[in-house]
Amino acid sequence: MTMNRRTVLQGAAAASAIIAAPGLVRAQAPAIKIGILQPVTGALAQDGEYGRLGAEIALNEINAAGGIKSMGGARLQMVFGDARSNPEGGTSEVERMQSEGVAAIVGGFASPIVLASSQAASRYDIPYICDVGVSDQIVSRGLKNTFRFGPGFGVVTRTALENLSKLNDAAGKPAKTVVIVHEDGLFGAGMAKLLNDRLPAAGFEILETIAHPTPSRDMSNVALRIRALNPDLVIPSSYYAEFVLLSRTMQQQRIRPKGVYAILNGAASNFRFVKEFPDAANLVMDCNHWADPRKPKTAQVKALAEQGGRFWLYNTPLNYSCVRLLADAIERAGSADRGKITEALAASTFADHIMPYGPTKFENGQNTGAAPVNTQVQNGDIKVIFPDAFADAKPVFPAV
Amino acid sequence: MTQQPYLPILAVVAGLALLPLGLSSNTVLNFLSFAMIITLAAQGWNILGGYGGQFSFGHAVFFGTGAYGMALLQVRFGVNPWLALPVAMGLGAVVGFAIGYLSFRARLRGSYFALVTLAFAEVFRISANAWGFTGGAAGVLVPLRLDPANMQFADKRIGFWLALAFVAAVLALTLAITRSRFGAQLVAVRENEEAARALGVDALAVKLKAITLSGAITAAAGCLYTQKFLYLDATLAYGPWISVEALLAPIIGGVGTVFGPLVGAVVLLGLGEVTKTVFANLMGGSVPGVDLVVFGVLLIICVAYAPRGVLGLVQGWFRRKASA
Repeated sequence: MTMNRRTVLQGAAAASAIIAAPGLVRAQAPAIKIGILQPVTGALAQDGEYGRLGAEIALNEINAAGGIKSMGGARLQMVFGDARSNPEGGTSEVERMQSEGVAAIVGGFASPIVLASSQAASRYDIPYICDVGVSDQIVSRGLKNTFRFGPGFGVVTRTALENLSKLNDAAGKPAKTVVIVHEDGLFGAGMAKLLNDRLPAAGFEILETIAHPTPSRDMSNVALRIRALNPDLVIPSSYYAEFVLLSRTMQQQRIRPKGVYAILNGAASNFRFVKEFPDAANLVMDCNHWADPRKPKTAQVKALAEQGGRFWLYNTPLNYSCVRLLADAIERAGSADRGKITEALAASTFADHIMPYGPTKFENGQNTGAAPVNTQVQNGDIKVIFPDAFADAKPVFPAV
Repeated sequence: MTQQPYLPILAVVAGLALLPLGLSSNTVLNFLSFAMIITLAAQGWNILGGYGGQFSFGHAVFFGTGAYGMALLQVRFGVNPWLALPVAMGLGAVVGFAIGYLSFRARLRGSYFALVTLAFAEVFRISANAWGFTGGAAGVLVPLRLDPANMQFADKRIGFWLALAFVAAVLALTLAITRSRFGAQLVAVRENEEAARALGVDALAVKLKAITLSGAITAAAGCLYTQKFLYLDATLAYGPWISVEALLAPIIGGVGTVFGPLVGAVVLLGLGEVTKTVFANLMGGSVPGVDLVVFGVLLIICVAYAPRGVLGLVQGWFRRKASA
């Protein structure tokens, strides 16, 4: 055998390949595909983007920490799907995720998208974790694959009403009259009906219930009506743009009720609103999903989320926590098998999330510990005012 | 060709029916099923708008009536879906007749008729959103029970074939109409209503027949939509999206042609799906909505260079080839 340049190079290449082989094997531990479903185009695009951000932060963190250890450090790989802000979009993305062989799906955001896509996923027994959608129908259908980490509509409204009474009692009952402003879709209309049933029993007089469509381009009439009625309290249930419009109009018209107490509002606990319109947002209260401010991890995730001038919305910590919940289930299942992941999820006691919930416990797919918190915008920051155990500020009420 | 006018329909339907056998991808199957539902809605529009010249901007009203009819009959009254389907189609026909009677008797035409249909769709949407019987804003959820007797199929191919069967039936019906006296009267009304009347055509009766039939067909699309997605709310059922799809598909494919709605729906949805997949692979979803921009541009090009629809373009090619 003659030694020439070529054979030397071949030998060197072969030798280095053998030396590098263990590293290659480690790097090639099969990736586990995770479907992240969010509406990033259409009416819900803002929420979808922030949901995806939370999922990305969690996936990066898990992979950087060595992936799924029980599976030889398998990495989690995101298969992203744009739900197009409608159920058809969500369903067709579930089909695509199925063809790509995802182990589980996280997300959906809006209730109609979650209802349709979790059902599509159930045909393939793909575990589905709903991030936000609050419709109580999501977990009442008996679908074994569907889990909701956050609270549902019933829990949120009950908590909101209890805390409203507490707040009012603590301040010496300054609020007696209420005007309800709501969007006429699923959550706004449902909320208004519930409030009309329950508020009188809690000692509040409802002066008027004002509905508006989404989208609305002008809120002057609503604001003028509020001025004429002069209520102590305004309870708005609207999406982002409409609530921002309403509070700016109220600010311009100098309409100052004793309090603005929002429930599941699209803007009242949204840093974009607080940063862009600090005066209009100041002292607005909301009962909503929110990250636990006491957990050190929350600050880390928040810092990552705010890179590049983005805002801190509840979608990000919720999706971050949902993906971590899923990773924990895969870790315990020790397999990417869908049935095993579903079982592991159902038995989950995951506590390392950044929501104010305590250890996870699913009952018929609903996390029983999930609860909303009350927030208030105070001097350009969003503070938690209820429950006392998580609060990082005292409520400012009445505001005038 | 003149001997067997139904042969092309048979060939196209057979071709479509064989597609799922060669496909393992449920993504494509899902797309095809949805395309068939849109085709059906568009075929309904085509009979009234394409052949009758009555451009409706509110076919959602029929789609939604069919969809809600199907869902509520099952959920509220426990009716079997196979029975609910014809009833819901009947409801669509009734709504079609009612809207037709009100607007055609008032001699609303052209843009006025279009605006009235749009308004009807909005009225229905807002009512469905507010009324407790329709589930209000929370919508209706049809329980998932995979059973052929329940018109829910574990095998997605059967759902596709069912939708295809409806499309095939309407293709045949449309062709039969074009060859019938009623079809000739319909076209006469479209081309010149006064002239048609002068020749003794009862324009009101012809238009009423068309809108009733149109309502029933588009309602069938709504029924199939309900069975496919098992969830409805007012915006899904009566929202402007379906009015636009029902109108756009025949316009892209070829207004007032038998195959126009089918070609249009497949091209329209296929284009959307292809741009979405291409850009998802190209950019990994990093720039959301880019595919929609490309889709819009392609659509503009399509309409600009094929004013008589895709079918008109293809026919033009063949004619040029034949004369060359």
